[in-house]
Amino acid sequence: MTGPHYLQIALVVLAAGAPLILLAGLASRRIASGLAQLGALAAATCGVASLFAGHGAQALPVLRIYPPGTSDLTGVDFPGHVATDPVIATIAVTVLAVVLAVQVYAGWYLRDDDRQPAFQATVSLFAAAMLLLVISRDLILTLVGWEVMGWCSYLLIGHWSRKATARRAAYKAFLVTRLADVGFVIGVVALIAVAGTSDIDALNRDVVSWLTSCSPAGGCGRGAVDFAMTALIIGVLGKSAQIPFQDWLIDAMEGPTPASALIHAATMVAAGTWVLSQLTPVLRVGLEGTSVASWVLALAVVATMVYAAFCAFFQTDVKRVLAWSTISQVAVMLSPLAVAPGAESGSAAATGHLFSHAIFKALLFLTVGWLAVLAGSTAARDLDGIGADSGLARGVWGLGLISLAGVPLTVGGISKEHVIDVASWAEDGGAHLQQGIVTVALLFTVALTAAYATRAYEIVAGRRSTAEPDADGAAQAVFTPAEGHEHGDAGPLVKAVLIVLAIATLAGGLAFLGPLDPGHVNVGLLALSVALIAVGVLVGWYLRPDDALPPSRLMTLASNGFGADTAYRQLVAVPVLALARLVAFLDREVVETYVRGAGWGSGLAGWAAEWPHRRERVATNLVWVAIGLLAIAGVALWG
Amino acid sequence: MTSLDIAFLATGAITVAAALLAVTTRHLVHSALWLVLALGGLAGCYLVLGAELVALVQVLVYVGAVVVLVIFAMMLTRAPIGPSPDHSTSRLHRLLAAVLGAGVTALLLAVLLPLGGEVVARTPVSTTGIAEDIFGTWVWPFEALSLLLLIALIGAFAVSRLTRPAGEVRR
Amino acid sequence: MIHPALPYAVAAALIGIGTYGILARRNAVLVLIGVELVLGGAGLLLVTAGALGGDRWSSGNVLTLFVITIAAAEVVLALAVIVAVFRARGHIDITAPADPGANGGGS
Repeated sequence: MTGPHYLQIALVVLAAGAPLILLAGLASRRIASGLAQLGALAAATCGVASLFAGHGAQALPVLRIYPPGTSDLTGVDFPGHVATDPVIATIAVTVLAVVLAVQVYAGWYLRDDDRQPAFQATVSLFAAAMLLLVISRDLILTLVGWEVMGWCSYLLIGHWSRKATARRAAYKAFLVTRLADVGFVIGVVALIAVAGTSDIDALNRDVVSWLTSCSPAGGCGRGAVDFAMTALIIGVLGKSAQIPFQDWLIDAMEGPTPASALIHAATMVAAGTWVLSQLTPVLRVGLEGTSVASWVLALAVVATMVYAAFCAFFQTDVKRVLAWSTISQVAVMLSPLAVAPGAESGSAAATGHLFSHAIFKALLFLTVGWLAVLAGSTAARDLDGIGADSGLARGVWGLGLISLAGVPLTVGGISKEHVIDVASWAEDGGAHLQQGIVTVALLFTVALTAAYATRAYEIVAGRRSTAEPDADGAAQAVFTPAEGHEHGDAGPLVKAVLIVLAIATLAGGLAFLGPLDPGHVNVGLLALSVALIAVGVLVGWYLRPDDALPPSRLMTLASNGFGADTAYRQLVAVPVLALARLVAFLDREVVETYVRGAGWGSGLAGWAAEWPHRRERVATNLVWVAIGLLAIAGVALWG
Repeated sequence: MTSLDIAFLATGAITVAAALLAVTTRHLVHSALWLVLALGGLAGCYLVLGAELVALVQVLVYVGAVVVLVIFAMMLTRAPIGPSPDHSTSRLHRLLAAVLGAGVTALLLAVLLPLGGEVVARTPVSTTGIAEDIFGTWVWPFEALSLLLLIALIGAFAVSRLTRPAGEVRR
Repeated sequence: MIHPALPYAVAAALIGIGTYGILARRNAVLVLIGVELVLGGAGLLLVTAGALGGDRWSSGNVLTLFVITIAAAEVVLALAVIVAVFRARGHIDITAPADPGANGGGS
């Protein structure tokens, strides 16, 4: 048994578990929930086993029904490989661990929800799709995982489909990511067409050698590769909720908190980072720095990380703070891919931040879900001081936020240092302008992140302020306790999950001694970022808005994402609908006129033919018949 | 002019005269009665031509059954007793009908008369021979006819049930 | 010995008279009488043809019998239809305009 074997078993357990959980849900919700947790546990065990087993690649057994290799039909090589190496196995284990945490957590959180089995089955399928995407060494398998995840995220966000806002959020998430996925599919198809293979390793090797061997003055299909990567990056931006697609993730907070934890921590939004990190040789080496693709990526992530961190500071809802922070952190994750000097350093930095973000974001979401159940809401004013009396709550929340802020030696701090280090490489050659922009944005984001993390900690842990909350404040509570959410405090298992994740935010740094080793530590940068964090904390402490007061105009605006939803509607939905109406109008009034014209013609002809018969009489007709017969007989005899 | 010619002239004259009266009389019931005479005369023609069986069947079926049915139908459709001009169409229409009827006759005569110029001997046909032929050569058409009669019977029943509700009978 | 022209002439006259009866009558039952006359003329032609010799299977006689049988069946059905029409319309005048609504035709 090698690594790929173990992970394929995990894949089968998770994918086959989904229908089984649904079936078991017909009998009992508790059995279904137990089955889901057992499945996640088995998968996680397989994942850990794959870490220590031999690594390698093999074709997915399902695809052996048809001999893999060059298809006569398309002339495209489709080996369908899955593989593990230390990094892949680490990320797979992270994904599976987060899924296990989420399944255990959802067993408690959704205990009184009659659709709990459907939720946990979807989580299982979602995890299988993400696992497939992680271990896939083939763009077609990647695409399969990508699309299944898109569908599952729609189901999870719209889980409370009896709420109109949840339905709308699900539609929005689906439509926005779907729109971006058009780019992703085009990019994948174009890459496969250019390279003649869908195998990621072969594709990287072929495209890079092909682009570096020909003259640097353009030509050689460099434009085609650039186009393909740009399209692919647009898809990644959509899935990762980067500008201009950022708004769906905020609305996705309508989903249950475990779903948010799953989508934000290890799967959906991080998937783009993973896919892109697999293709860094093409992006960074093949296209050599200043391509359209890398500019698109760099500008999008620079704008997103600063804007999202800024928005996060002014949210009136703690869950939305976390959502904006995810957007910002995913931008941080993507930034080394845009400007890294070489394929390895960029992808290692991105993967490292993916790993640490998965841990601390899962911890933060699960904690806020627990606290929200206690408080009955996720609005900042309702959560105010909720954890002041609970050491556990303050501890896990604080550890998660420290890691989010990137304090050195926490898992988030190590990976973030690595990202900044890679982005600000000072060796000769390359895209200095891009690098400069990205580095400045990263340092700015460090301070902003520390600021909103400080505010988030103060909301939960600080003593309740003296000002009485007025009843009609405009605080927007995303989560209102569903009926049946009065089961109070979490059980010991859930608390254990939180504690384990909290420990992982500290101990997870050990992974950077192993497969995610950043290589060296840039002490100067480290000192700079510590200083920036300190500034951020101070700024956050003194400038934090008072949640007990009605939110200021800026906060209301920020809570609405500065009208991004309206912009989507005005810029995309309205023109598309207008176009659809135009097409419908043309179809109805122009195309159908021909059809109706035929109908009118027939009707007219029928009327004209019927008219002489309108007052006809049998006797007259008999005369006509007799005349006709006589004429026929006469013609027959003498004609 | 043979004796058979004379006999046929007599029966034929009766038939044609009765037929003419049947289609021109103003009495509805008279029309049926003239039909009886015309069909009876036709049976006489058959006899003269030596087809005794056909003549007998003609009397049995037509005079005995068909005309009775026709009279029944007249009664069921409330035929008025006494002369009425309403039984025939307008004068112009009748003129046209007469022209057409004369045309049909003229056409047939023009075809048939050249064939019947010289005197021929009639071939006697025995009833036994007809019976043998019906149940030999013509047996399948005969059986088919029996089926036809059955179907006509059922059809008549079916049609007579296709009536509207009583409230709509008179409009 | 006989002149075939005589029965031919009678048959032609009967068919012509029958045609006149069909065309000149308004009452459907009287139209039927015209039809019977036409059929009688046809039968006479058949019998005449049979009597002139060369009739291998007595077809003149047999076919006349068949025509009479078919005529009987036809009369039964025709009268049934006439009675049904009378019940539906209250008259059996074939010069009356056709009722467009009755048979679903027209609009």
